[in-house]
Amino acid sequence: MNREALRGLFTAKSAKVNTNKGEAYYKELYKRCQKRLEELKNLTPVNKVSISEILEDEGVSRRDFLKWASAVTAMLMLPSSFTPLVADAAQLMNRVPVIWIELQDCAGNSEALLRSDGPKIDEIILDIISLEFHETLMAAAGHQAESQLEDAMEKFKGRYLLFVEGAIPIGAGKEWCTIGASGETFEEHLKKVAKNSAAVIAVGTCATFGGVPAAAPNPTGAVGVMDIVRGKPIVNIPACPANPANMVGVILHFVLTGQIPELDSLLRPKFAFGYRIHDNCERRAHFDAGEFVEEWGDEGAKNNFCLYKMGCKGPMTFNNCSIVRYNEAVNWPIGSGHGCIGCSEPDFWDKYAYERPMADANIKAPTGGVEKSVDEFGLGLLTAAGVGIAIHAAASAVLGKRDKEGEE
Amino acid sequence: MREGYKKIKRMTLFMRVNHWVVALCMVAAVITGLYIGHPYYQSLISEPAVNKYIMAWNRWIHFMAAIIFDVSSIVIAYLYFFSRFEKPYKKLIPNGKNISEFFAVLINLLTLNRVKKFDSSHEDSFHIVYFTIFHILLLWMLFTGLQLYVHGLESGISSIGSWWPWLLHIATDWTIAVCGGTNMDVRYAHHFTMYLIIVWVMFHIYYVVWRTIFWREGDIAIVFGGYKFAKEED
Repeated sequence: MNREALRGLFTAKSAKVNTNKGEAYYKELYKRCQKRLEELKNLTPVNKVSISEILEDEGVSRRDFLKWASAVTAMLMLPSSFTPLVADAAQLMNRVPVIWIELQDCAGNSEALLRSDGPKIDEIILDIISLEFHETLMAAAGHQAESQLEDAMEKFKGRYLLFVEGAIPIGAGKEWCTIGASGETFEEHLKKVAKNSAAVIAVGTCATFGGVPAAAPNPTGAVGVMDIVRGKPIVNIPACPANPANMVGVILHFVLTGQIPELDSLLRPKFAFGYRIHDNCERRAHFDAGEFVEEWGDEGAKNNFCLYKMGCKGPMTFNNCSIVRYNEAVNWPIGSGHGCIGCSEPDFWDKYAYERPMADANIKAPTGGVEKSVDEFGLGLLTAAGVGIAIHAAASAVLGKRDKEGEE
Repeated sequence: MREGYKKIKRMTLFMRVNHWVVALCMVAAVITGLYIGHPYYQSLISEPAVNKYIMAWNRWIHFMAAIIFDVSSIVIAYLYFFSRFEKPYKKLIPNGKNISEFFAVLINLLTLNRVKKFDSSHEDSFHIVYFTIFHILLLWMLFTGLQLYVHGLESGISSIGSWWPWLLHIATDWTIAVCGGTNMDVRYAHHFTMYLIIVWVMFHIYYVVWRTIFWREGDIAIVFGGYKFAKEED
């Protein structure tokens, strides 16, 4: 193991969330944000949409918008005095150009933004960001689309936020994933677009940790953005799909401060991933009480008991969905009766996403490639030790030599 | 006392008390730990959740047992080096004398006591190595267990101050990387190591009983009374 890897091992940052950095810090930050917003106001917006008009068209009142702004302020762990600034920043979001590329993915994160039952404020805000390039959404195709990307990269050089959705194949078979007429591989494509970006934001678990494409046996050698892109600020927003609330949070933070938010050791924003699902779960009391759903649809399920025995991975998963939920707090997986599958954790498909508790995981135990659970392997080990002891005991009884002294 | 035998003190009162505290803790930690890994008894008792608290009690017992276990291990680790009674670390140094004693004791075990070329009255190198393996397993359980524990202190605060989760992160975050990169891997490792410890205990009990039967020096009495008996030199 080299020194760098060792150092990384021992300096891993904790998930600790510092929610109060002191009055002096926030005063200073407030001034900085004000200045930044003034600068943005003077820029010509990339598109001419006005958020207040759009919100009105969608039937969202000014009051609702300000309620949303104060909720986002709290989510970003800023004092409530920042609410007007956050509202301002939301209106200035069309000043920050965004390029969105899709790699090995199912477009689920784009879908999460687009297909909500009625657009919520989070989604509306994402509608008005200056989306310069998005394969799934734009009208252009083929060479036209490619030249549009080139134009956007040139025009907003060093200023645009790059959103990446999907994993990057780098193993055998990576040449099957190409984009454009020149046959660029996804890796080349990502590197090219990332080069002139202000920051790279990996959206969804595929783009952050490889996700489902990287699940065993990972036929394409899929990896996440942070394994490819070097020398750029990277923010990971995992989950399957990533919560639009967290995407808005990261963009707003960038608009407001010109910086990316504070990150944990997996480069996830702490404001979103500093919480453990389990500790804010509405079913937690049933966990402590030992009241578990034993099978789908049983008496426990009808009474909203804890889903731990159905394989809920809330105790090992860090995400804020037990607090902000999805679709503007309409519901979330545990609320609808299925356990958490740990979709925002690395290797989640192999190590979290099964409907059994950890003890029944059937993960690969160190038995030389045979699929066995830890418990089966452990019992095997105990049996082997017992058999060994029994053989030794029997042999001792038959052949052993007792020390003569003390013989009756 | 039988003619021609002398009494040899092998464990102090403190060592014996510690041994049984650790043994109890281990049984408690395994019973509750298996429940935490997979709640194996029924919980659909028609009582409101607030009156039951079954998982919470299991976790409470598990953590209490673990903390007592850990603290006693730290004390034992200290005694390895600074005990006024007997310093086990001296038997761990891989010098010629210890290595030959280690193999002499192993050969005694494998030859079913037909060959016995060492002084069995005092603690031997083989046994000390075996105990050290236990303490390493315990240390591993301590690190992985505290890593799992600190997941619940994600706010960075605790009842005894924010230094505690901070310290736990500093001391145990490396276990995630070592176990395979995810929180889940730490759970697997913690769960699996339990089996290694149970295997260790199985052989430990067997071996002490075996010594008692074949050596005829009352080895099993050490942990109760503190003494064993050895033949007087002629």
